[in-house]
Amino acid sequence: MTTDWISLPLVALPLVSSIAILAFVAYASPAARERMGPSVRMATLIFSLLMLALTTAMFFGIEFIGGTSDWASLSFGSFNYEFRYVWIESLGIHWSVGMDALSFPMVWLTTFLLPVTIVATWNEKNAAVYFPLVLMMGGALIGVFVALDLFMFYVFWELTLIPMFFLILKWGGYDRKYASQKFFIYTFAASVIMLLGLVTVYFLQPEDLSYAGAWTGRTFDIPTLTAHAQVANANGAWFLGESLQKILFVMLMIGFLVKLPSVPFHTWLPDAHVQAPTGGSMLLAGVMLKMGAYGMFRLPLAFFPHAAEHFQFWLLALGMVSLVWGAIVCLGQTNLKKMVAYSSVSHMGVILIGIATMQPLGWAAALFMMFAHGIISPMLFAVCGAFKHHYHSMEIGAMRGMAKHSPWLATSMMFGWMASLGLPLLAGFVAELMMFLALWHFIAAEGWSVLWMVGPALVLALTAAYYLWSMQRTIFEGGEETQPPESLKGQPVPDISDAEKLAMVIMAAFTILFGVMPWIALDMMNGWTVAFFETLLIPILTGGA
Amino acid sequence: MEQIEPFADGFVLALAPEFVLVIGLFTLMIVPNMGDAKFRIPLTQIRVPWLLGGKRGKLDSDPRLPGLFATVFFTIAFGLTALSFVNGMIKTQIVTANGTTMLQIDEFSRMFELIFFGALALASAASVNRLPATSRADRSLNGLYNNRRQVDFYILLITTGLGMAVVALAQDLFMLFIGLELASFSTYVLVSFMKESKEGTEAGMKYFIVGSVASGVGLYGLSLLYLWSGSLQFTDLSIAFAENGMEALPLIALGMLLVGFGFKVSAAPFHFAAPDAYAGATAPVAGVLATASKAMGVLGLLRLLLVVASPEATDGSAVWLVALGVLSVITMTWGNLAALGSTNPKRMLAYSSVAHAGYMLAAITAIGALNWEDGHVDMSNDAALVVVTALIFHLTVLVCFKLGAFLVLSLLESENGGHTLESLGGLAKRDPFLAVAMFIFMMSLAGVPPLSGFVSKLLVIMGIVKVALLDVTVNSDLVFADIHWVWYLALLMVINSAISVFYYLRVGLVMYFHEPEEGREGALPKGAPVRFAIIACLITTIYFGVGAGQLIALCESAANALVGAW
Repeated sequence: MTTDWISLPLVALPLVSSIAILAFVAYASPAARERMGPSVRMATLIFSLLMLALTTAMFFGIEFIGGTSDWASLSFGSFNYEFRYVWIESLGIHWSVGMDALSFPMVWLTTFLLPVTIVATWNEKNAAVYFPLVLMMGGALIGVFVALDLFMFYVFWELTLIPMFFLILKWGGYDRKYASQKFFIYTFAASVIMLLGLVTVYFLQPEDLSYAGAWTGRTFDIPTLTAHAQVANANGAWFLGESLQKILFVMLMIGFLVKLPSVPFHTWLPDAHVQAPTGGSMLLAGVMLKMGAYGMFRLPLAFFPHAAEHFQFWLLALGMVSLVWGAIVCLGQTNLKKMVAYSSVSHMGVILIGIATMQPLGWAAALFMMFAHGIISPMLFAVCGAFKHHYHSMEIGAMRGMAKHSPWLATSMMFGWMASLGLPLLAGFVAELMMFLALWHFIAAEGWSVLWMVGPALVLALTAAYYLWSMQRTIFEGGEETQPPESLKGQPVPDISDAEKLAMVIMAAFTILFGVMPWIALDMMNGWTVAFFETLLIPILTGGA
Repeated sequence: MEQIEPFADGFVLALAPEFVLVIGLFTLMIVPNMGDAKFRIPLTQIRVPWLLGGKRGKLDSDPRLPGLFATVFFTIAFGLTALSFVNGMIKTQIVTANGTTMLQIDEFSRMFELIFFGALALASAASVNRLPATSRADRSLNGLYNNRRQVDFYILLITTGLGMAVVALAQDLFMLFIGLELASFSTYVLVSFMKESKEGTEAGMKYFIVGSVASGVGLYGLSLLYLWSGSLQFTDLSIAFAENGMEALPLIALGMLLVGFGFKVSAAPFHFAAPDAYAGATAPVAGVLATASKAMGVLGLLRLLLVVASPEATDGSAVWLVALGVLSVITMTWGNLAALGSTNPKRMLAYSSVAHAGYMLAAITAIGALNWEDGHVDMSNDAALVVVTALIFHLTVLVCFKLGAFLVLSLLESENGGHTLESLGGLAKRDPFLAVAMFIFMMSLAGVPPLSGFVSKLLVIMGIVKVALLDVTVNSDLVFADIHWVWYLALLMVINSAISVFYYLRVGLVMYFHEPEEGREGALPKGAPVRFAIIACLITTIYFGVGAGQLIALCESAANALVGAW
């Protein structure tokens, strides 16, 4: 029995069900919409749990589903659950999906975060519209990760903007109008430049590749293009010629660097995060940012490794600046959520540095960072959301002595902060350690100055500083005469709700799991990066030139 | 190719959709005038029922009747046009006895007729409840005119449709011009039809003056062309151009004709009347201006630039290449920057339509970049085919979302809104369906996947890039400078569409974020025909995005009919 279609419901189920629910809800009166809320919420939770069950089954490999569960030894360029269906024949556009060890962790992460997000924001207002939007967001994100067709990739890439735009606009903070607009325009502007680059690549390929359009004779198929680029890049030759490869590399990277985001394109992120509702922030930080890093691996690095080597210094510099700048800005923040948002910028710098080292270890570090940050940062935002929800304020100094009033929230915050600053035995530590090793290795091999290590080393201290300092000001300070926030107006200080507790515990458990046993995910990532390196970079190096 | 003389066997059948419109024209003239009038035979007392005039019945004086009639006739014409595609198009030429080809029926002309009739059918459906009808109880003089005004409106819509159909079919510059003027004059009146409002009158006046000046310049160019070649047949002209098209006279004539069509597509710097005209006209009429009328201008440009002054007439690239390229850049940038600052949604849509004209001009420019016959024989015309297909696709789906946006504004206009962005405020609460529809139309205009606007923009970009890369051989010595400069037009286009997101998004923000204006809290007027038209626009906007394959194939066959004829 062929079960390649099994990845179809991963995309179709959330999209179709959420659009159906939204269309149904749109015709209801406000009162009826209010009544529908709980059942819609339960339905989305069930859908997302079904998806999680499916991806988990894919991981462990259950006979019924087929495919291989041996993700680590999936050779480069082959995909699990590959499925193609002609979409627009004349242009060679296919509905083609498949997963390899690069995309599968991200898909699993998305399906993991969906139910967690739904549980963590269980009491969000206007539930009948909110939860379908979250589900739709999940579907679009999975679509990006499983797409093996450039057209489809771009469609889902842009589709993620729409639910997020509405999540920020309808459930966001006081300045949500500005933030949602800025978020949309930044990422849209960057991705149309990427689109032009993709179209240019499309027409520069030879005409006899497989899955080509009946009319243009060209293909949008990513594996086919990758295989072709790999041949053309071998032995020191440049796929598409040197100058063009550089320009196209930059055009594609603009799209991904803005999404990641890297300094100097990062300014949309703090605005979007601060204004976004908790659920929006969790998905935004957890998965949406990783689309940028994922896209870099999938397209520019695979197509244009020569150009990537050429721009290696600039990528490293951008990563370094993001890392340091993000951390420095964090120190000055008084808004809890903004601090966490800038810490995301800093962590994305780690990913960029890992990519820029151009070696398997650094890439594996980047991939594991994507995964680890995808579990930790939603927890940070869930903490911020709970803080805001219960104390009606986001200022770091507003609430003191939280350990006494709200032990659950204080514990969650402490755990999240520790995980994010890279405490050993938690998931973030593994990624940071690998990045350090890769960077050391790279600097030593290239004979670069040791001063390059100053930035990351400094950031270790800075990260610890801003997290510990903010913890000191919120959790501990105040001692016996603790200070409940003024915004509570004298009401008793609440702790987080049971649903929030559950979400925190789940996220904390997985942070520990992947910190203690990183090989669960790291093995397949490692296998993939080594294969990627051997297939794409070794032929280049051996060719001399 | 079949050839038929006018009014010979098969003539009416070949032109069935157009004749349906003629029948519609007469029906609209006769039916609303039917009454109980009797005709007395002279010198006798016998009165024969004559039916025309007298006291009219309840049904034929209904103010909604003309609109429904016009909608039905446009729909039949649309259906017949679509039907002609079904078992392969029978290509037919209407040739006079002395051998002058007047009209030609092929996939290209029929495809454009689909655009025209579709847009006009939607616009007339949307106008059914729009014109103020005097109440039945009103015994004043106005009562006599209870549906006379509506009749005038729809007669003008039908003549617009007929004129556009002639433009689509014409094989002779003179025929083309007659059709163009028939359509133009009807739209001049349609723009100023709301004579109660000052804006409408002013808009009509401006549109008329600028338009007739543009037509006059075009006509002068036409006469120069006739002076030069002695014929206005497209085939004769293209042969003459291929021989000695670089003389001064035909180039001047070409430039003047460009002015005429440039006005129709509202390309800068001939676009100044457009925002006023769109803002003053009722929204459905403005929608027709932005879709069908624009398609007519593009059609004229394609005929003129690709058939008459085709790129192979000259060596290397077409003579008009640089001029049109510059024009397209100015047009798209100007349109977008002006749209950023406009607070009237109809003006905003007008400027966005100017920007879209720029994208289309960029695509036409790309076709002129290479001489298709010189060294590109083996890839024949397939790059030009992609561009023309993209253009036709763009014009077709424009009817879905641009007209759709105007129709939403039309519903707001019936409660005196629609002139300020703020009147859209709170639409999400007042009417969630309309707000969703408007948001989807805006996203489609901006080119967000998976809507049809994205596919059309992608196709245009693909066409331009394909042309730009046609001359390069892919090997490792390829340098960026080898790429033809029309590639930069694609770059400017994507930058411009990034700018445009700002003002399209603003509409969404106002609908979902702002509170309704005072006095606009309640539900919107019902208007079943408009809502039906909006639903049709919405479904096609989404369908042609997700399932673009069939429409692309259709547009490709249309483009083939034009490009293959080279």
